[in-house]
Amino acid sequence: MENTVIKINNLVKRYGDLIALDHLDLEIKQGEIFGLLGPNGSGKTTTINCLLSLLAFDKGDIEIFGKKMTPVSYDIKKDIGVIMQNVTVFDELTVYENIDYFCGLYIKDKAKRREYVEEAIKFVELGDFRKFYPKKLSGGLLRRLNIACGIAHKPKLIILDEPTVAVDPQSRNRILEGIQELNRNGATVIYTSHYMEEVEQICTRIAIMDKGRKVAEGTKDELKRMIKNTETITIEILDVPDNIVKEIASLPHVYDTDLSNGKLTVYCSGGKHNLIRVLEVLQKNELSFGRVYTELPTLNDVFLEITGKALRDKEE
Amino acid sequence: MQVFKAMFKVMRSRLPSALIYIVCFFAISAIIANASTNDNKFEAKRLDISIFDEDDTPESHALAEIIKKSNDIVEIEKDKDTILDSLYYRRIDYALIINKGYADKLRAGETAELFSSYHLDESFSVVYMGQFLDEYVSTVKAYLSMGEAFDEAVANAEDAMSQNAEVNMLSRIDKGGNSHFSVDFAGYFQYMPYILVSIIISVVSLVLVTMNKKDIRYRTNCSCLKESSYTFQLFLGSFLFVFIIWLLFMIGGMILNKEFYTGRAWYAVLNSFIFAVVVGTMAVLVASFEPKDNVLNLITQVLGLGMSFFCGIFIPVEVLSDKVLSVARFLPAYWYVRANNMIADITQFSLNEVIQCYLIQLGFAAAMVIITLLVRKVKYSGAAIGTAVKKAAAAEH
Repeated sequence: MENTVIKINNLVKRYGDLIALDHLDLEIKQGEIFGLLGPNGSGKTTTINCLLSLLAFDKGDIEIFGKKMTPVSYDIKKDIGVIMQNVTVFDELTVYENIDYFCGLYIKDKAKRREYVEEAIKFVELGDFRKFYPKKLSGGLLRRLNIACGIAHKPKLIILDEPTVAVDPQSRNRILEGIQELNRNGATVIYTSHYMEEVEQICTRIAIMDKGRKVAEGTKDELKRMIKNTETITIEILDVPDNIVKEIASLPHVYDTDLSNGKLTVYCSGGKHNLIRVLEVLQKNELSFGRVYTELPTLNDVFLEITGKALRDKEE
Repeated sequence: MQVFKAMFKVMRSRLPSALIYIVCFFAISAIIANASTNDNKFEAKRLDISIFDEDDTPESHALAEIIKKSNDIVEIEKDKDTILDSLYYRRIDYALIINKGYADKLRAGETAELFSSYHLDESFSVVYMGQFLDEYVSTVKAYLSMGEAFDEAVANAEDAMSQNAEVNMLSRIDKGGNSHFSVDFAGYFQYMPYILVSIIISVVSLVLVTMNKKDIRYRTNCSCLKESSYTFQLFLGSFLFVFIIWLLFMIGGMILNKEFYTGRAWYAVLNSFIFAVVVGTMAVLVASFEPKDNVLNLITQVLGLGMSFFCGIFIPVEVLSDKVLSVARFLPAYWYVRANNMIADITQFSLNEVIQCYLIQLGFAAAMVIITLLVRKVKYSGAAIGTAVKKAAAAEH
């Protein structure tokens, strides 16, 4: 039976006239990797800050592990691990000392802490670098150190805020595998990122936020079903008479067509056998064509359709 | 005590520069202490003198013998050029010519033109020998006027001139008879503020800035460490560092002075401790502005050197102008130096005034704590954070 780890109820956060969080409701179950998506300034970080009681909110309730979260809920905080977007370590401390420091904020027992720190070092594969100072580490190693500092105390809930920014593909892959491993070991994960393919790869459920509101929530398949476009058919063709383009546009489930640069693009919404129907029209009219390919919508399409394509160039 | 331990680990990066300050300070203090130890030994100065006895009588010989006892006689040719060369090249300090007729004139009680001399003008040897000869002649005359025979008068004068007073060089002794707080030892305390400011601000401020970096603080706030425990550990770490540095200087002072602190020296010890606390609060205030590393170095130098030159640490207070001193009154080092000067009897000692100086320094410490709290309140208030977020969000919408 799934237990609720986080329950956010009707959360409102205002900065004067500006509403940063607008009646936000969110429920995250135990064992989920929950993706929190949204453009810059959508309220993701504000939500996390309120969740951690680092920011006072105007209205609503937050419950974590079934208990009300307040700034002095140290019994709740001991089971939460936070991994921030910026690498948050001491330049003056070695890899081991850094992990030991952050682990020590939660674990008082020395022997237990030593064991946990060693496990964390092993987990992020930094064994050869334990005596290195952060300045000597590459970007990928730093990210792994950042993660080790956040998870060394074995939290039940891990909040990751864009942990793979500016990381090479190999390190990114290792980090994502690590997050999935932590999840398999029983941790519930909240994951925010701008990399849609990452969210698609690891998240079991996703919420999209915009302007302080939750605008969509569900599994990736559920989200994809929410948008109009479900299939895009592209055909390499030199010329198509207007009447044939119109005939294709009138096919069932086709909601838009585009003929440009020697390509006919057909946008479909729902339905089956769309490609077969389009090809039948072309063959019937004896039109020759080159390559044909069809694409299903990505999370990126979902995100852009839900949040719009206007630029968001300011940070939250 | 993770935060406390981390503070000392962060301090490691600044220890080499702090160590340089400490080593330089102790080295200079040791040199000064050593030099002052030699100064305490009295030894009468012996001049290099050439005597040319033109009178050649037993009386003139007797005078030459007396001079020989307390000076070194250098034999040179009686030639004006040779004498002048010897004076120029400092082979001799003084050339005395006992004029012909010296014995007769002295017997008759005449004192004019008994001697001639070659010497360098404005030399202390002129004064020294002039006084010596005057004293000798006056003594002989005094014995003659008492009715003694000439030979007897010369012999008695010789005896009188041979007697030396016992000279003991003493350290500056305060009115309470405390001989363990010399001017030299006061100098040790005098220069201490510069080193305290340099070390404490550069190390404590750096550590506090590091510990309070936005991201580090954020992550720490996310943990189950209580805010009060975090603040307490930061305070404890800072205070312990200040105390260790101060204690190091006190032990150093004890070793250099070769004596334990006694009597009035304890006032100086207390004065330095209070000043160290003031500098500690100053470091906390500087850290609250979260300066970057190079800015912190600049602030350290400005505060250290500024107070040293304005408040009488490097330059004695007596030679500072009234305008400078009127500015210096607004700096804690001025009150430290003022108390130190009183304790060392450089100025009139008054216990009440010394205590007043302590209290003023503590007042500075209290003021800096209050300003720090105000700065933090403004910096970390909801309003300040809200404004920053509002600006970002308003630009977006």
